[in-house]
Amino acid sequence: MNEKVYGARCKDCGKEMYPAHARCPECGSEKLEPLEIAGQGKVLTYTDLYALPLDYERRYLRLAIVELDSGLRATGQLLDEKPKLGKRVRTTIGVVRQSGDRKIHGLQFVPV
Amino acid sequence: MRKVGIVGIGQSRFGIRSDASLRELSFEAAKASLDDAGIPLDDVQAMVVSVASDELSYALQPSAQVVDYLGFNPKPSFRVEGACASGSMAVRTGWMTVASGLADLVIVVGAEKMTEVSTAAVTDVLGRAGDFMWEYPFGMTFPGYYALIARAHMAKYGTTEEQLSMVAVKNHHYGALNPYAHMRKEISLDKAMSSFTVADPLKLYDCCLISDGAAAIVLASDKLAGSLSKKPVWISGLGLGTDTISLSDRRDITTLDATVEAARQAYDMAGIGPKDIDVAVVHDCFTIAEIAAYEDLGFCAKGEGGKLIEEKRTYIGGDIPVNVDGGLKSKGHPIGATGVAMAAEIAKQLRGEADPGRQVENARIGLSHNVGGNGQHAAVHVFQVD
Ligand SMILES: [Zn+2]
Repeated sequence: MNEKVYGARCKDCGKEMYPAHARCPECGSEKLEPLEIAGQGKVLTYTDLYALPLDYERRYLRLAIVELDSGLRATGQLLDEKPKLGKRVRTTIGVVRQSGDRKIHGLQFVPV
Repeated sequence: MRKVGIVGIGQSRFGIRSDASLRELSFEAAKASLDDAGIPLDDVQAMVVSVASDELSYALQPSAQVVDYLGFNPKPSFRVEGACASGSMAVRTGWMTVASGLADLVIVVGAEKMTEVSTAAVTDVLGRAGDFMWEYPFGMTFPGYYALIARAHMAKYGTTEEQLSMVAVKNHHYGALNPYAHMRKEISLDKAMSSFTVADPLKLYDCCLISDGAAAIVLASDKLAGSLSKKPVWISGLGLGTDTISLSDRRDITTLDATVEAARQAYDMAGIGPKDIDVAVVHDCFTIAEIAAYEDLGFCAKGEGGKLIEEKRTYIGGDIPVNVDGGLKSKGHPIGATGVAMAAEIAKQLRGEADPGRQVENARIGLSHNVGGNGQHAAVHVFQVD
């Protein structure tokens, strides 16, 4: 699978960001390059949603914010039967939502 | 800039109002505020309207429905939007219109009709107030955002699920005394704690209601305010802060920096500090949001919000009574109306006209705190009487 998730890196000061901005929040530069969001990190917080939005027909959905080893944080689905704060996980990309025939790919986290 | 005072307040009953449309709810509130001010609509020079969602009203410019139904044409009207903080944006816009000298008398109307679409659809629309591209597509919801904040807060500061539930118990206690509230009933700690999980660790009673409703205030310039009202309620401080669209991108997940910034601006402008506040309404869309608001507004140190409610210091008689109108939790949260209703409630408190059992005695300085989305916007206003 070729899907990837990108944030951005400032070409002037090196600041990494996710999501991307048009302008570097650190130095104001508009020279930004894509930065792939991938790798390992730890679970900062998570939740199991039982009141689900449209498109989901399941009992619950487990979401998390993970702090990657690069220091960047990302939100995604947590695919872990035994979630715990601080637990090591790695990113993967999968179908996070399906609306009719339309599949949306996005970040998921699995235990290391 | 000129001083601006609130000279009229009005509110519709909040709740599942299948008896009234958006425009009818707006009329209920606007009429009450004009009667309270003792002026006809003909005297009002401009109208600011807050309706947060086109998607819930199934219409572009829903404000035009309000302006027409009230019979305000052809005078100027302006709609403002900031998700759940729309109402406070409207109050701020109304204040700007009068303070700048553009008008002497302005009406601010906030309204929302939320119960005509399914709960799943409302959940979906509200989820899209967050980061539409990088957080919402995972199935993120509003309770989801605040659940992530709650778990992080509990881990960092030892805040407990009981403390969260205690916020709900307090707000229902006062909401039961408010005739305009959506859910006028007390709840026990046991009932709150045993309610079903919406987004772990948040349970049903940690979440605010989905309500229909409207609120309105009439604002006047200093000269006019004195002649129209025995006790004008002056807006003495305004703050408006913003923060990242993604929750994951925040400096600290347990703090709403938009609130911290808005509070700093409002306190500076009014020349007061958090200790001077006699009564406050804060944005308790979820119980954890009220606890974080205590901290971010400076009512206590960071991390001590749980203790503040546990020691009942935000009840009447405590250091700083908070949400003694029932809050979003029990009074209800028709999103476009909420910020305007907050201003109306503080004006009522400072005029000494709140319902028996929920009036803060001799309150002179009040504060409202209104959050848009999960902290992308926050507005803090300070109100004072002479
Ligand atoms: Zn830079």
